[in-house]
Amino acid sequence: MAQIATNEFRAGVKIEIDRQPYLMVSNQFVKPGKGQSFCRTKLRNLLTGRVIEKTFKSGDKVDVADIVEAQMRMLYRDVDGSVFMDDNTYDQVTVSSESIGDVDQWLMEDHVYDIIFYKGTAITVMPPTFMEMKITETAPGVRGDTASGRVMKPSVTESGAQVQVPIFVNEGESIKVDTRTGEYVSRVSS
Amino acid sequence: MQCLNDILRDRAVMFKSSRDFFERRGIIEVDTPILTSDASIDVNIDLIMAHCCNGEERYLISSPEYAMKRLLAQGARDIYQLSHVFRDEEYGAEHNPEFMMAEWYRPGFSFQQMFEETVDFVNLFLGDVPHEVISYREAIENYVGIDYVTATDEELLDCIDGKAYDGIMDDGRDAILNVIMGTIVEPNLGKDCITVLTYYPASQAALAQTCYHDDEHVAERFEVYYQGSEFANGYHELADSEEQRRRFVASNDRRIELGRGALPIDERFLHALESLPDCCGVAVGFDRLMMKRHKKKELREVLAFPWV
Repeated sequence: MAQIATNEFRAGVKIEIDRQPYLMVSNQFVKPGKGQSFCRTKLRNLLTGRVIEKTFKSGDKVDVADIVEAQMRMLYRDVDGSVFMDDNTYDQVTVSSESIGDVDQWLMEDHVYDIIFYKGTAITVMPPTFMEMKITETAPGVRGDTASGRVMKPSVTESGAQVQVPIFVNEGESIKVDTRTGEYVSRVSS
Repeated sequence: MQCLNDILRDRAVMFKSSRDFFERRGIIEVDTPILTSDASIDVNIDLIMAHCCNGEERYLISSPEYAMKRLLAQGARDIYQLSHVFRDEEYGAEHNPEFMMAEWYRPGFSFQQMFEETVDFVNLFLGDVPHEVISYREAIENYVGIDYVTATDEELLDCIDGKAYDGIMDDGRDAILNVIMGTIVEPNLGKDCITVLTYYPASQAALAQTCYHDDEHVAERFEVYYQGSEFANGYHELADSEEQRRRFVASNDRRIELGRGALPIDERFLHALESLPDCCGVAVGFDRLMMKRHKKKELREVLAFPWV
């Protein structure tokens, strides 16, 4: 298995510890006085999402995680999860509902997502940061709402996400959403 | 980076202030070779090697210490040097493999005079920041709540639960203390004032004399901190060539264990120690002071040509 030494540690490096894949979130080089140097890292477990801190002695080597990223187009939802296709090879994979997790609310057919594979198995689906989608359900804005200071209202989008939108947005209109926060960004004129 | 011209101009201002500081105190500027056959031997400093003149091996200095002490032994009095120095594998927010060091020696100075003068120098860059003096032992007591002198290795290890690296027990007690310092103590040092940390464990003496302080065998070594960053390392200089040779041999043994290889022992340096006057000396990281002076978090923000 390929390895990297601590001097190659950077945010974004993917390593494997105790058979778990981790994404390096940050790396701090520490060298107190005349002592030996070490690296304090923050690592996100790519399977559980949990962030841990781990210290490495300078010069130590760690395994590189067998991680491959691919851009794939969502085809349809299935009983076990969702099916995606690689536009170049036409390869299809089913990503389990468990691996998709909360991202399910952003899945729309015929949209392209980043998929992370660990040892050949899809473990994470990442939606584009900004997505445009239609509002399928929301109450009409009521006159007087603005005066009472309530300017946002709940809505449901075509992907199934629940998004707070301004009261002037109506059912059937399209909006832009930030998928990192689930927040409304703007109305999209069609 | 700030406007390049601002960075360059202020750096030039601080070079001049530094030189004026030394001149006022009667310390003269010297320059010694950067490329040398005389390696500094330190377990935890990796030297950068150069091949030159028919493939001969030389080292880029990690500090001008050996050459400056040879000058002192030959009769030079108070001397300083502003020099680029080189340390392999040291790269991070506050580390650059090549950096500017201000180093000076004061024959006849006491340990306290030396760290007080160092604080004055640091304040050229920071303004009039007050300082406190605490011992290594007190610092660990204050911030970790343990007396490291009486604690067992296991008790020390408990303090860094989750912060230790794998296999730290094999590296010995100083390795555990080192992680305690780096992860718990250092981030707390110099929060509201400059902190002078004194009296390191004798096992971390490097090139300092040792003595007994509160019944503990300690090194007359200090470091200077401000806002969690270290700026200076100073010693009451060891002038005992036999003791220095023992330390070199021990350091080389440890380097071999760690797979870093032994370094040649500089016999001319050891010989010079026999005539070294009683003196104190200090090395200060100039670039890091510039970083703090400009309230930056990374060295690269004050360097015209950072490593990466």
